[in-house]
Amino acid sequence: MIDPSWIAALGVILFGIGLLGTFYHKNAIVVLMCIELMLNAANLNFVAAASHYGDVDGWVFTAIAIAIAAAEVAIGLAILLSLYSTQGTISLDAARELSN
Amino acid sequence: MGDSGNEYRLLMPLIPALLIVPVLAIAGVESVDAAFLIVLAPFIAFPIILISGQVYNGKPTWKGTLKEGGVIGLSSLLVSLSTAVWILVDYIRGAREISEDAGGRVAASWMDWISFDVLHSDYTMSSERIIGVGVWIDSVTLMLLFVATFLCFLICWFSLGYMNTDPINENRNHRFYAEFVLFAMGMFGMVLADNFLWLFIFWEIMGLCSYLLIGFYFWKESAAYAAKKAFLTTRVGDVFLMVGLLILYDIYGSLEFSVIFADPSIHGTVDSDKLFWALMMLFVGAVGKSAQFPLHVWLPDAMEGPTPVSALIHAATMVNAGLYLVARMVPFVDIGHHGVAGLDELGLIVAYIGGITAFMAASIAFVQNDIKKVLAYSTMSQLAYIFTGLGVSLWFYSHGKTDAATLVFGGSMFHLFNHAMAKGMLFMASGSVIHEVHHAHDHLHEGADHDHHDFDPQDMRNMGGLASKMPVTSAAMMIGSMSIIGIPLIGGFWSKEAIVAKTWKASLDYEPLMFGPAILVLLTAGMTGFYMSRMWFMTFAGEPKHEVVEHVHESTPWIKEPLVILSIISALGGFGLSVFGIVKWLAKPYSYDLGIHKDSFIDQVIYELEHAFLPEDPNLRIVGWTTIFLSLVIGPIFAARVHGGSLREGQSSGPLVSWLVWLSGKFGSQDVTEMSKSSLSEALQNRLYFDYYYELALSKTVLPLAALAAWFDRTVIDGIIKKVESNSVLGSIQIRRVTTGRASDYILMAAVGALSIFALAWGVSG
Repeated sequence: MIDPSWIAALGVILFGIGLLGTFYHKNAIVVLMCIELMLNAANLNFVAAASHYGDVDGWVFTAIAIAIAAAEVAIGLAILLSLYSTQGTISLDAARELSN
Repeated sequence: MGDSGNEYRLLMPLIPALLIVPVLAIAGVESVDAAFLIVLAPFIAFPIILISGQVYNGKPTWKGTLKEGGVIGLSSLLVSLSTAVWILVDYIRGAREISEDAGGRVAASWMDWISFDVLHSDYTMSSERIIGVGVWIDSVTLMLLFVATFLCFLICWFSLGYMNTDPINENRNHRFYAEFVLFAMGMFGMVLADNFLWLFIFWEIMGLCSYLLIGFYFWKESAAYAAKKAFLTTRVGDVFLMVGLLILYDIYGSLEFSVIFADPSIHGTVDSDKLFWALMMLFVGAVGKSAQFPLHVWLPDAMEGPTPVSALIHAATMVNAGLYLVARMVPFVDIGHHGVAGLDELGLIVAYIGGITAFMAASIAFVQNDIKKVLAYSTMSQLAYIFTGLGVSLWFYSHGKTDAATLVFGGSMFHLFNHAMAKGMLFMASGSVIHEVHHAHDHLHEGADHDHHDFDPQDMRNMGGLASKMPVTSAAMMIGSMSIIGIPLIGGFWSKEAIVAKTWKASLDYEPLMFGPAILVLLTAGMTGFYMSRMWFMTFAGEPKHEVVEHVHESTPWIKEPLVILSIISALGGFGLSVFGIVKWLAKPYSYDLGIHKDSFIDQVIYELEHAFLPEDPNLRIVGWTTIFLSLVIGPIFAARVHGGSLREGQSSGPLVSWLVWLSGKFGSQDVTEMSKSSLSEALQNRLYFDYYYELALSKTVLPLAALAAWFDRTVIDGIIKKVESNSVLGSIQIRRVTTGRASDYILMAAVGALSIFALAWGVSG
């Protein structure tokens, strides 16, 4: 069996990739994918901890998180669609309504 | 106008309604368990009439066969009536066996409506019933239930003729009938209620229907104003009533009759001051509903509604709700049976309010020229008689004089019965007069472009000499007026005599303070004789005062039957029922060991006559004969001198009516033009300025308060909210300057913030 610390490390790496991706990418779809990446990094940690301690709670949390993530993606995509229909682009640099 | 013989086939839908009770009886249902039908039937009819009225409005079947919902309403009221009669018959038949029970009461409780689980200090749970659904039936309930169902049915019948032949109501009558049955439901429910909360709920339903029906002609400004006035004035009383109920709940922890009346003193631990205020609050509610001084101002204006409404709600049923409430106060004060001592002022206050109202309303009725207004003031005055009687009865109960208390309680309830029957009929008769005069006026001016507003079909100065034109109506109105006046042997005489005599007995033998109400009710007896005779003579005797009178015919179908039935009850009911001991029967709930008379019929007749005309107490004999003299001789003779007079040559009416008209011309005539210009008469015509001063007081107190509240709302409350809003807008504009608007930046901020919080938490815990 793999040592859970390796899995935790993998989670940290995935989370870092996702975080940096949200900072530097301009395409909103890529940002959405990066957010999913972070979420799954957290899920990975849950699963690892669950198998390490032999406790079912981690599995349950993961299952719930996946379900919620699916809903969140649906909403995120809907927002992007309406963004596209109003702005004509999904570049995040173009969507700066709040600045003035 | 349809052929009246042909119209009665419309009553076919009534047959199934009539069959419901026999079917239930054969099926073995107990009459008490069927009591919910009384309330349910009108409750079901209400949406049916309202919705079908909207859907089928104007269709010939709806208008012709169903009378715009009137027949549906009549069927549902027939179900209620027959069920009520069934219970009444069962009760009387079973009364012999259950007479030893606390007042011969039947209560049925079907379900819990509100109940709480209570956790006790020893950690056990118990379910505590707060409000149940059930009925409370004793002789008072049954009497009022019979009055309500019977009159609702007859007045609905009358409405078929009165409302449906008036072009002004065309295609709107379904509203009338729907509100009518809803009102009926409220009244039946209030009477049957077995706890104060249900009583209050149905009480409010009645108030709502009263408002809706007074405002039936809502496009008339006066009707809309009258509806508002009635609603708001009774609302004043209702608020007090609710406060009273809350205090009662505080004392007893329940509003159920069976809990409260079982032992109102809770083994002598009840604080009598607190209970006194609770009962006073209930009494103010009753004063509002029954239009007593000082909340009486709404009732005369309520006559803006259609006449059947005046007959039913504002004369015969709803205004009795207050009396019913006061009648239910007996167990609280009855010290002979678990009552609370120290509540003697309550009876005095009730009696005084009654006496003052009786006198004041009768004096205002002296100068009214609108036939319905006279009847409205007469209603007020007669209800005040009953209040006086109940007040005296409460006083007697609170001093342990159960025998006297019982008799005056029964007498008051009996007066309620007589008054409801007679006054319901008088209003219907006045409706008949108004209706026919109005039709005659329309007929007279047919085709001509005339102005309706210069002719008032309710003004008695446009009538006179109608006795020959409307023989049935004039005879009915004569009997009704006699019953209200208290002409010996007829209707209200028996009950009024009991009230007057017992009030005097209380004042002469026990309590000098009772002298006030006693003298007031005695004077009012004579005044009643005057104003009721005046109304009758002005309408039916003498020469016609308007050309319209020549064209009046008594021809509308559906109107005569209720008049005839109620005339018979008004004329004979008083004597007939008192011979059968109704006074004691009505007092049965509160006379715990009163034996029922077992004399033979003849003995009973002699006993009643002796009791009324030759009481043993010499003082009462004087009082009794003074009352008879004032009401039978003085009042009517003065009225005849002013307004009486023979009919025109060749005109005649029924035998007794003709004789009375002839007699009224024999007392000479007196001109009262001078008297009617005096300041007293003017004050009476302006209803003693009550409305003026109430409005003045309201405009000086409530309106400035409302203006202040409006100012406070607009400047302070709205001001705070607007200030917060505008400041946050300003703040946002400032903050907006430092933002970039890039989503990535926000995410970066969030990440940095989260990291700093982690770092801080780590630092603090480490």
